[in-house]
Amino acid sequence: MATVKLTNVKKIYDKNVVAVQDFNLDIADKEFVVFVGPSGCGKSTTLRMIAGLEDISEGTIEIDGTVVNDLEPRDRDIAMVFQNYALYPHLSVFENIAFPLRLKKVDNDTVYKKVTEVAEILGITDYLMRKPRALSGGQRQRVAIGRAMVRDAKVLLMDEPLSNLDAKLRNQMRAEIILLRQRINSTFIYVTHDQTEAMTLGDRIVIMKDGFIQQVGTPEEVFDMPKNLFVAGFIGAPQMNFYNTELVRVGNDYYVTPFGTQMKVSEQKAAGLRAKGIGTMSVILGVRPEHITMGTPGKNDTFTAKILVNEMMGSEFHLHTTCPDDSECIVRIPTLKLDHDQRNALTARHEINITFGGEAMHLFDPETERNLLAEDDYITSDSPLEI
Amino acid sequence: MKKASSIRRNRILSNTAIYIILVVMSIVWLIPFVFILLQSFRTENTWMVGYVIPQEWGLDNYVNLFTETSFLKWYGNTLIIACFNAVLQTLMVMMMSYALSRLRFKGRKFLMNAMLVLGMFPGFLTMIILYYVLKGMGLTQSGAVPGLILVYFASSGMGYYVFKGFLDTIPKSLDEAARVDGATRFQVMRKVVLPLSKPIVIYTVLTAFMAPWADYIFASYIAFGTSSGYNVAVGLYSWLTKDMINTNYTLFCAGGVCIAIPITILFMCLQKYYVEGVTGGAVKG
Repeated sequence: MATVKLTNVKKIYDKNVVAVQDFNLDIADKEFVVFVGPSGCGKSTTLRMIAGLEDISEGTIEIDGTVVNDLEPRDRDIAMVFQNYALYPHLSVFENIAFPLRLKKVDNDTVYKKVTEVAEILGITDYLMRKPRALSGGQRQRVAIGRAMVRDAKVLLMDEPLSNLDAKLRNQMRAEIILLRQRINSTFIYVTHDQTEAMTLGDRIVIMKDGFIQQVGTPEEVFDMPKNLFVAGFIGAPQMNFYNTELVRVGNDYYVTPFGTQMKVSEQKAAGLRAKGIGTMSVILGVRPEHITMGTPGKNDTFTAKILVNEMMGSEFHLHTTCPDDSECIVRIPTLKLDHDQRNALTARHEINITFGGEAMHLFDPETERNLLAEDDYITSDSPLEI
Repeated sequence: MKKASSIRRNRILSNTAIYIILVVMSIVWLIPFVFILLQSFRTENTWMVGYVIPQEWGLDNYVNLFTETSFLKWYGNTLIIACFNAVLQTLMVMMMSYALSRLRFKGRKFLMNAMLVLGMFPGFLTMIILYYVLKGMGLTQSGAVPGLILVYFASSGMGYYVFKGFLDTIPKSLDEAARVDGATRFQVMRKVVLPLSKPIVIYTVLTAFMAPWADYIFASYIAFGTSSGYNVAVGLYSWLTKDMINTNYTLFCAGGVCIAIPITILFMCLQKYYVEGVTGGAVKG
């Protein structure tokens, strides 16, 4: 029902603290966009500017083609779910959900119909007459979501709605938000610091740091082609491993040489590098823990690492190992394929032989921290993205 | 086992000590009230006596109080002032505190500091000038009742501290949620903040209602010897002068008891709201 467009949006506090820098983004109708980043990156501030709870220092925000910079929150036709629920403690759950309708002076029958409908969807029908203080955290958050849903607002804003819940409940609610999204026709803007939430919920993810957009893309794009070191390190858990090493060009082929090995860069990536005319140079090599495989001892693409800690995660092991130059390397190994002896070999102080697959290598320029294969519309601190 | 019993013994001992102290304190506290109550029922004579329990009991003092003196007029004056004050002062303090707690505007800090400093000067400093201002408006002597209402109301905004302190404890995200839900600033205050401020509103109403009953200095100054402008404190005190006290002492006691009645009733009605806060469950705690 609504598009949201942010143009050169900037937020400056007290004349010198810049919270959001030159934020440009087009959000399509019914899209689910997630703002993600470490705390203090400006994601919540941006959301609150869209909501109208913060002034916009520079730039414009449009909802459905109307500039809303000077509109009060209530005139923007948005709904919002807060991290701390923000339920009205003196009102029953029913009245909490009905609150936006009461303000609009909707007649009683419609209110009753809508509230019970929403309560049905969220599974809180039994608690409608209770006060919020008699509810658990998960139930309270459902009420808060219900209050946002009942409005049929154009845009639904969610400010870290799950971060006060425990891990199990968070997983459950995450799935429910996905289901919810299929039921209601709103544009969603969701703020989180949790990259798992961002990856699972978003149609597109906006990764932010220090007030700047780092990358905007689908979950696959930001995972497969992180545009810079920050995005590479932020998306994915455990974090990507990084090594300072050399990229060597031999004819049409490229090799990376960590720890004295020679690992071939895949042909697809090599084509990209060739197209950009890249020769031999220093690079930062990034490899995700799940893309590291066991190598064959003695081969020149394999090196030996020493296991420090083995975390048993159930379906997989997380091995914290040290490489020959004492840098750390985290390896994820699925437990399914391993027999008893192989498992026993993966204990602390044992050594394992590992290699990096050529497909899964990410190459970054050590100076600019950009991905060597990234497009030119690349976003860094000084060149904001135009989408 | 031995240790546990000694802890228990200590607790009993300290509790006993605390209760003894509390009982003694409350007896000391209650003596004047009991005394004045007993004296108000004493009918054998009207002057001060050296004993506490009346020799003859009766309601003569109360009957005389309302039929033969101006007490009813004074009582009415004070009740009018108290009611107006309770409503106006509460409104004023409420609006002031809401603005200072929730809105951010230029000069807010300065305003708060200025009021804090001004509040340190005793109110009596302004008495003379206020008298002339009120006199110019015709609000002294027989016009003392509206005069006093005006004076109390005008200065009430300065007493915002407690109310603002309470409002500051109500999470701001509730305001924000309400604004996003479609409320105007006024609706936020009326539908969200006020219902949650019940305890502090009650507190403000009670103190505003009680103050005029005890005001002597200002009230006597503005009424300036005109009996129809007296409040109860000024009126009753006029019975304690040297030539009045022997005929009016027991009347004075009966008047004192009558003053306590409306305040006590109001307090009884409102006290259950006065005790507990209601913010539980609003936000993640």
